Amino acid sequence: MAVDVARPPTRTGSPAVPRRRRPVWPRVWHFLSFGAPGVLVYVCFVLAPIAVSVGYSLTNYNPFGPKTRFVGLSNYKQLFTDSEFLTSLKVTTILTLIVVIVPNVFGLAVALLLDRRGWLYNALRSVFFTPVVLSSVVVSIIWTRLLADDGLINQALRGVGFSHPPGWLSDPSYALYSVGAILSWQMLGFCVVVYLAGLQGIPQELHEAAEIDGAGPMERFRKITWPLLAPALTINTIVMLITGFKAFDHIQVITNGGPGTGTTATIAFNVLQTGFNANREGYASAMAIVMLVIVAVAAAVALRILQKREVSM
Amino acid sequence: MRRSIRPLVATAVAAIFFVPLYVVCVNVIKPGPKIAKSPASLPIPPTLHNITAVLTRPDRLFWVSLTNSIVVTALSIIILTVLSSMLGHYLARGKSRWGRWLTLLLLCGLMIPPQVILIPITQVLRFAHLMTTIQGLVLFNVGYYVPFGVFVFTGFTRSIPVELEEAAAMDGAGRFQIFWRIVFPLLRPATASVLIFLGVWIWNDFIDPLVILGPGQGTTITTGIYRAIGQYQADFGTVFALMFLATLPVLIFYLALQKHFVKGLTGGATKG
Repeated sequence: MAVDVARPPTRTGSPAVPRRRRPVWPRVWHFLSFGAPGVLVYVCFVLAPIAVSVGYSLTNYNPFGPKTRFVGLSNYKQLFTDSEFLTSLKVTTILTLIVVIVPNVFGLAVALLLDRRGWLYNALRSVFFTPVVLSSVVVSIIWTRLLADDGLINQALRGVGFSHPPGWLSDPSYALYSVGAILSWQMLGFCVVVYLAGLQGIPQELHEAAEIDGAGPMERFRKITWPLLAPALTINTIVMLITGFKAFDHIQVITNGGPGTGTTATIAFNVLQTGFNANREGYASAMAIVMLVIVAVAAAVALRILQKREVSM
Repeated sequence: MRRSIRPLVATAVAAIFFVPLYVVCVNVIKPGPKIAKSPASLPIPPTLHNITAVLTRPDRLFWVSLTNSIVVTALSIIILTVLSSMLGHYLARGKSRWGRWLTLLLLCGLMIPPQVILIPITQVLRFAHLMTTIQGLVLFNVGYYVPFGVFVFTGFTRSIPVELEEAAAMDGAGRFQIFWRIVFPLLRPATASVLIFLGVWIWNDFIDPLVILGPGQGTTITTGIYRAIGQYQADFGTVFALMFLATLPVLIFYLALQKHFVKGLTGGATKG
């Protein structure tokens, strides 16, 4: 950023001397040959669909319903009185909070535990990271079995004397937290690996110097480790935030939005239900756009706050 | 004294964490009826019945899904590498304001949830007669993941001295020649990251193939498993075997390339 300081005189030179520009055609050709193919696919399959979504959200589009007409903002107005949507907003918020907090806290604890050299610690790191590379469908099915009313977890609980263990996935008051725990289990390894890299980037001398100055382990963690892990915390928080917001696969496979009505239906789940199963594509598009805005704002705010904490050494 | 406690605690925590994966491993080689009764017991005597049942299904679900997943993943990541490395190079070397806007626009794509675009995507693909085809899914993957590729390649290209390219240009090499003969080979670590991460993500994608390939048409590994659990509610042995076989390729891929995974993930975490 500071490099430009020496240059303003030439940049802001008198307008009478026009800056010589390179001929236009080679630059256009450069873009067409190198940039355009990638940009074109991105525009066709991401940007244009978003624009189309915005368009749909202003209509009552339903491929099997009455003739499509422009309805202005009424879809959006309806959203904020739609109890189903408001519930999904709450469900998504709870799920996202679980997925941001749990893997971050346990991930940091595990990373501190594994922050040593040697084959054992490398092997254990691989164990923790394995679920990250597994398909969410596979993870969901495994946990559906484990948490079933007669599954391994409840068999174990009965074995140690709980005669009526809860229905982790069949009881509406537990299901959302169970799904959150499953997602957290799958993403834990991601946080572990990122925190480990952060820990290994902290110079040993800082700890030694602090130890000489008489700082105990807790104080060293608070004053050295934690502040210097700020970049790792930023990455983990943002990635978990987005993961929580777009959680869909686990819900589709494990609970299908239930038990009961919508107890685990996230916005991501409701968008596709409304769009593809109920065919109310105009209304679903409005929901999708609201979801996009929420994700963008939440990520931007979190990034702002977290990056302010990052110190440079 | 504390030195001897740490490995024990670490191993114990990892063991608890590993229980769900252990359950899959033992149940793959356990006879079906025993699975529901005692999911955690050791598979004695072991049986290959579950695995052969999956491999010899009359509708060849496993083989069809495997082929589709391999084709979709391979095509997507090859096209993505070509397009995003060139676009990344274009953006890294350009100094114009328009290039910076373009970079920003692409970076926004990193956080767009697929649900936001899937409804209109089906219309776009139907319009192009690509709905329920492998080509349609590949094109969607390319568009959806191009921001990640560009993000990795742009950053990495900046670390390669531009003088190399200028010297080659002086010697009369054309733009394509410079890129493919000189720059691209130097981008190998970035290419590895892109191939590995996108490979795993696209292999594991669930909702995109479910919507785009549609019901009944093609299945990938993930949608194949999803359909199979509907049919085999009671036969957990087969479900576990199918999951195990479906995961094997990606697991081998991960274990073989672990170092790159960690490096790719942590590039940003250690910058400080």
